[in-house]
Amino acid sequence: MEKNEIVEKLRNIFISILEHDNFEMKNELSANDVEGWDSLTHMIIITTIEKQFGVKFKLREINKLGNLGNLIELVSLKIE
Amino acid sequence: MIFNSLEFSIFFLVFFLLYWFIFNSNVKIQNLLLLISSYFFYAWWDWRFLFLIVGSSVLNYILGILIERTSNLKYRRMLVYTGLLQGIGGLAYFKYFNFFITSFNEVFQSLDINGNLQTLNIIIPLGISFFTFRTISYVLDIDSGKIKATRDWIVFFNYISFFPTLISGPIDKAKSFIPQLKKQRVFNYDQAIDGMRQILWGLFKKIVIADNCAAITNPIFNNYQELPGSSLLLGAFIYTIQIYADFSGYSDMAIGFSRLIGFNVTKNFDYPFFAQNIADFWRKWHISLTAWMTEYVFTPFSFLFRDLGKIGLILAILINFTIIGIWHGANWTYVLFGFIHGLYFIPLVLSGKLNKKKIIAKDTLFPSYRETLNVLGTFTLVMLTMVLFRANTIGHAFYYFNGLFSKSLFSVPDIPSAKFMTLITFLFIVLMFIIEWIGRKQEHAIANISLKWNTPMRWVFYYALILSVFWFGGQEQQFIYLQF
Repeated sequence: MEKNEIVEKLRNIFISILEHDNFEMKNELSANDVEGWDSLTHMIIITTIEKQFGVKFKLREINKLGNLGNLIELVSLKIE
Repeated sequence: MIFNSLEFSIFFLVFFLLYWFIFNSNVKIQNLLLLISSYFFYAWWDWRFLFLIVGSSVLNYILGILIERTSNLKYRRMLVYTGLLQGIGGLAYFKYFNFFITSFNEVFQSLDINGNLQTLNIIIPLGISFFTFRTISYVLDIDSGKIKATRDWIVFFNYISFFPTLISGPIDKAKSFIPQLKKQRVFNYDQAIDGMRQILWGLFKKIVIADNCAAITNPIFNNYQELPGSSLLLGAFIYTIQIYADFSGYSDMAIGFSRLIGFNVTKNFDYPFFAQNIADFWRKWHISLTAWMTEYVFTPFSFLFRDLGKIGLILAILINFTIIGIWHGANWTYVLFGFIHGLYFIPLVLSGKLNKKKIIAKDTLFPSYRETLNVLGTFTLVMLTMVLFRANTIGHAFYYFNGLFSKSLFSVPDIPSAKFMTLITFLFIVLMFIIEWIGRKQEHAIANISLKWNTPMRWVFYYALILSVFWFGGQEQQFIYLQF
């Protein structure tokens, strides 16, 4: 899967859960910058990503995520 | 040495002068003075407390460095577990040991087994629940790569024992606090003035509101068998306000004192009584504790149960809140308090409204009809659990509710406290809520007063607060959260 594809797919997941698109898909984007992205939505977003990409994360990997760049990296690593 | 005592005033004044005028040349000296003062402050309660805090600081400082250094996964795990074991073990021993013993004995008795285990005479080190949460988060954050282990032991020891927040929080994360300790603090006039403003507001809430509320609630909770349901309702209502004024007042003072010496401590309350549902309430109540719990308890459990869907979420919430309950103390009343709050979340989870944040009266002066109903409903749910919080045993709470929900609920309440002060207290409570409503979008309720009011008005207001503290201050009560 191309990086653009991953980004687009992630974007759609975020929009479907957060119910808005007031965010820019840049690498530095972090949960704090996005309205409604709290501990609860975070978990829902993570599980949705797992389902849609058919991958399984480890808690350690989730804990280390600092921003969108990390997430994209992690997803591309997992689907390889 | 509580904040609103003469001893603390003298201690803080001496510290303040030394800190800014004598030991201000570099960060090392500032930190050394801060550490010695924190230990002095702590030892003032009981010097024996120092053993535990110094011991756990030494251990976790070393663990932090070792965890970061090693690449051996097994060894690393062992180090993390050592830290957890020390933290949780310390809590279990000092706070919960006797509770386990008496609970076991009750089980033995009910099974007719002859086994009477002896309880121990343990003194609970003050603030243990607060500083232990700091050490645990430090070790876990290094393990997960969120922070680097600090090599400066004075910085780390200060993080664990920082006196303004040592005994009752807020519980700061290493990530936000340790960088502040590493930088030299420079006196900032505006920050200091705002700190004093926040201390004043905290003092008002503690001494005028909480201590006067205690004069109303103590006789009601002590004589609940003889009072009508309406009095018990009043008792529960006032106690809910009391605990808020007590703990948020304490937190405002802790944050204010920190600001006076150049630190930004995390916010602990965000006007929780204007919350519109229980999830919203817990985002605004004792924020530093719930944030901690979310990160280290809720997140791992909800991750573990993530394939179970909503059931998994509910399970994680129930575990999370039951632990929040137990964190307060070794009593089944707290366990039930937490568990019920967990149950309160279930309708929100099922209806999918859990993460819908609603800002009350966003651009208007008054809340809408709907918002008002939500606020009152949320307050009532919280109020009912506060009876458990206040009661000594579950039985006590049960009989309290039994008396509350009786025909006498509709009678004229019989108030055992002095009539005049009760009335004054009611007026002050209304005043507090008006001021907090106006200031609800700010860091603390009177933060922006300098922008809105001119100087004479402001001073009239400050003096009114100070005078009310002296004239109408209730009889000195221990801070409720000091026991936790």
